[in-house]
Amino acid sequence: MELIKKVEELKNEIIAKIKEAFDEPSLRLIQENHLSKKSPLNAMMSHIKELQGEEKASFGQAINNAKKEIAEFFASKEKEISDKKIQEKLEKEKIDITLPSIDYHMGGINPFYQIIDEICDIFTSMGYQVKEGPDVETDYFNFERMNIPSNHPAREMQDSFYITNTTLLRTHTSPAQAHAMDEAKGQPLKIICPGKCFRRDDDDATHSHQFGQVEGLVIDKNINLGNLKATLELFLRKMFGEKREVRFRSSYFPFTEPSVEVDISCMECHGKGCPICKGTGYIEILGAGMVHPHVLEMSGYDPKEYSGFAFGIGIERVAMLRYGIDDIRKIYQGDVRFIEQFKRM
Amino acid sequence: MKVSLNLVKKFIDLDGLSVEEIAHRLTFAGVEVESVESLASGTNLTVGQVLTCENMPDSDHLHLTTVDAGKHGVLHIVCGAHNVRKGLKVIVALDGAKLPGGTIKKGKIRGHESEGMLCSLLELGVDSKFLKEEQTKGIEELPEDAVVGDDNVLSLLGLDDVILDLKLLANRSDLYSVKNVAKEIETLFERKANITPSKDPKNANLAFKVGSETERCSQFSARVVKGIQVKESPEWLKDALRSSGIRSINNIVDIGNYVMLLTGQPLHMYDMDKLPKEELIVRDDFEGDFVALDEKTYKIQKGDVVITCAGKVMCLGGVMGALECAVDENTKNVVVEAANFDFASIRRTSIRLALSSDSSMRFVKGINPNQYDEVENLTAELLKELCSAKEIGEVHTYLAGKYQPRVVETTSEYINGRLGTSFSHKEIVSALERAFIKVEDDGKKLVCHIPDHRIDITGEADLSEEVIRILGFEHVDSQLPSLKASVGALEENLAKKRVVRSFLRGIGLDEQLTYSLVREKEIKDFALLNKEEAYKVMNPLTDEHEYVRINLLPSLMNVLTFNLNHKNENLAFFEVSDLFSGEGKRHSHLAVVLAGNDLRRSHLKGEAYSFYHMKGVVGGLLKLFNIDEKRYSFVRASVEELHPGKSANVKVDGKVLATFGELHPVTLKKYDLNTNVIVMEMDLDVLFSVRTSMKKMEEISKFPSVKRDFAVVLKDEVSAADVIQEIKKVNRELIKAVDIFDVYRGEHIQKGMYSLALSVTISSMEKTLTDAEISAVQDAIINALALKFNAELRK
Repeated sequence: MELIKKVEELKNEIIAKIKEAFDEPSLRLIQENHLSKKSPLNAMMSHIKELQGEEKASFGQAINNAKKEIAEFFASKEKEISDKKIQEKLEKEKIDITLPSIDYHMGGINPFYQIIDEICDIFTSMGYQVKEGPDVETDYFNFERMNIPSNHPAREMQDSFYITNTTLLRTHTSPAQAHAMDEAKGQPLKIICPGKCFRRDDDDATHSHQFGQVEGLVIDKNINLGNLKATLELFLRKMFGEKREVRFRSSYFPFTEPSVEVDISCMECHGKGCPICKGTGYIEILGAGMVHPHVLEMSGYDPKEYSGFAFGIGIERVAMLRYGIDDIRKIYQGDVRFIEQFKRM
Repeated sequence: MKVSLNLVKKFIDLDGLSVEEIAHRLTFAGVEVESVESLASGTNLTVGQVLTCENMPDSDHLHLTTVDAGKHGVLHIVCGAHNVRKGLKVIVALDGAKLPGGTIKKGKIRGHESEGMLCSLLELGVDSKFLKEEQTKGIEELPEDAVVGDDNVLSLLGLDDVILDLKLLANRSDLYSVKNVAKEIETLFERKANITPSKDPKNANLAFKVGSETERCSQFSARVVKGIQVKESPEWLKDALRSSGIRSINNIVDIGNYVMLLTGQPLHMYDMDKLPKEELIVRDDFEGDFVALDEKTYKIQKGDVVITCAGKVMCLGGVMGALECAVDENTKNVVVEAANFDFASIRRTSIRLALSSDSSMRFVKGINPNQYDEVENLTAELLKELCSAKEIGEVHTYLAGKYQPRVVETTSEYINGRLGTSFSHKEIVSALERAFIKVEDDGKKLVCHIPDHRIDITGEADLSEEVIRILGFEHVDSQLPSLKASVGALEENLAKKRVVRSFLRGIGLDEQLTYSLVREKEIKDFALLNKEEAYKVMNPLTDEHEYVRINLLPSLMNVLTFNLNHKNENLAFFEVSDLFSGEGKRHSHLAVVLAGNDLRRSHLKGEAYSFYHMKGVVGGLLKLFNIDEKRYSFVRASVEELHPGKSANVKVDGKVLATFGELHPVTLKKYDLNTNVIVMEMDLDVLFSVRTSMKKMEEISKFPSVKRDFAVVLKDEVSAADVIQEIKKVNRELIKAVDIFDVYRGEHIQKGMYSLALSVTISSMEKTLTDAEISAVQDAIINALALKFNAELRK
């Protein structure tokens, strides 16, 4: 049929035009001229009245098919052009993602506090109280109450900074124990005491006239050395890894009896021997022991009824081992390039 | 304490025990072996004899030798020593010999074959302090009777000893005695030591008076020995001393040192003929000059223990003898003293005079109070043997009181209970007996008789330690204590400090730690808050660490300078610390330093830190502690170190919480700073003590809020805070917020005036406001500002 052929020709003509469209305005122009009600294809519809029966039906269908096909081509072209436009926009907006960011950052933490905070968290989770004793102490609390009377040879080990004949900068955090025991008035106690200590040592890579300790103390009925061992195992494995072995060596502190040095298996070589543990497989980590009966007595506990364990750990030593810090002075120097390496939530 | 294993072997058989085993076991039992040393070392050594020796033609000092090395053949060896000569018996290091300085290899020296090396003792690692001068300058000259081809060169020289360097615990002073080290090995390894008491070689009655007029001497013994010959010590004695790090002087001095080494008891020997009288009396009431053995004069004070003869000081007890009665090479008759003095007095004297020796150290640590007879007998035996002593008198002893051996009672239940172990009663008794404790056991109670040398064992707890260190800490059952459950927590002040620290790190500030001991200048400068007296250390090491600080900023100023010197330029850091003032008060402080740029403000550029950044830090902390803005105010500060126009005090409930601001230009110059620096010192006690009520939710309006922006022109002296306050007063119900978004001075604004751009948020809890209602509020604001400040609306 001639009319259907005409529709076909018209359709092909319009599709060809759509294909040629390259931007939004040219597409709109096609829409206006060829896809509106006034378009030649729509005008063809008037011929439908002239037709009958099957011819009428097939002509109507031809027009509808043509319209549908054109619409599809148009939509696809429209999408193509809009995609291209977005693409161009994105292309234009591209930035150098390797440029530095705006500098939001958590401040660094001195590793000294990193370690103290961590130890406090471990022990508070076990139900311990945390208390700080004073940096400036009387010799009574610093020595006498720790079973170090004025003529005791152990006073020689601790060359101290004195302020008056009876006041000094504490040489260990142990006197904080005595304060805590006084406050507890003979009741069971579970406490750790972090803080700063001072000794008359010249500063070098491994010595510092100021250093930190955390002191721990548990007093109750039937406390024994095995309880100390289990507690330290729990703590040291949290601190240095679940695979750490803990061992005791006999030692001496005036305020504990028995006294032990506590070693952990080396975290570097896992006990095989390496330069960090000087080939021994173990690293000395803290001092501990059963509270000396005389110390308990002086602090208002009956040593026949109560017993306790105590331990003291050096903060800088832990920090130096954990982070491989080679010079203790770096901890006190304040170089922000050092501090900013350590972060803690 | 250096312990020679050869010397230990005189008292206990060590066969079958390796040095490593001994060191390990001692260390775990609390006798730490710090190092294992050898006097000399070398492998592939032998005795040789020089057959021929010629000068090397093209050298001024080298010799070409042939050396008979017995079974190793005749070797060609080039030697540079001046004393090499034909016929000399020498130490030969053969090819492959490992010496402290390296390995010896066959090779050519200046074209001449050399198949080994002839050695000096220095080359075998012997410390030069033990060598005669000629020994340090040439190769060792072996005795004529040395056998050519004998490979046991070190043993031939008495240099085959192994030395254990013991780091002794303060309570184990008994181990400053080789005999007691042997006993310790007996205890730990369960092999019998052979320690027999010395016999008393007394062969004459020689009167001598001893006594004490002070409580500081508990025992004083003396014995007169006559007709001695002072000469060189025999080789075995020299070897024993050398292994223990002591130089040989002569037989009499060496005997004193040797007896001390074996027994731990320091001796003193007086030249009898130089004493004005046959008496020695201990006193502590002497004052005056004293010329000691070292020919120096020391001032003696009351309280120093002195040994006197006819009222003259002959010895500073336990520390040093007098020059005037010193033993020398002409001495014929001696008085041998073995005494026990109060260790605290000896310690004070030796520290005050800076005189400490192996003897004074032993007195200070504590000595066996009940071995003076044995010590006197051992000494006399040696004087007889080595100094050919003719007359040996009796021992004269002064005792302040009868010696009481210590007895401690315990039970095996107590010991197991303290240790967390499950040893049998029998195991515990046997462990105690291994420590030379005599145990009376009635099946329950253990009555323990403590041996004299263990002055450290005084109570039951000490016995538990003996048991566990002998039986081994591996027997301790690891078991968590069964304690009542309790809530663990930081004490309040510590918890709050932690909140402050976390907040400051959260906003990007670095947390610092600095020394609490500071120099005098750091007490005076930057004393922004605390003006109390500071503690001064009596015995500082340096003036850098002389005072206990009372403010934190001076320390942080050092940190600032350190970082700027290291080209760290954009800095924001803080420290929180407790401070201890000379008035006995404790303060918790915070100090903050900002310098350079805040890099968070804009991309790549940053914004210079200013007063307002620090104000933000302060404000952030106030909000963190839920302190209502009505309770605090910022007022101008007047502090020497700070810019007068850019510094403030923050007052909370009338108390100064903090002082902060930019550094004064003069301060910047004084500290040689070329950057903007803002500092703050805060009294955290003030912050923590502000009482705030429990926070309740504030209702938020369901109805829309409206913002009205406008700018007013104000006189310079009108502050922004005043304007905000005045605006809020206009209608407290409807005005929800007043924000300032610009401050402008310059063109179009008269001098002495400024423009303040404001944004006012208006909203009602009850309804949506109409335009007319909103405009009414705005008009009222503008009227109020006109009335109060003469403010004009900027068009």
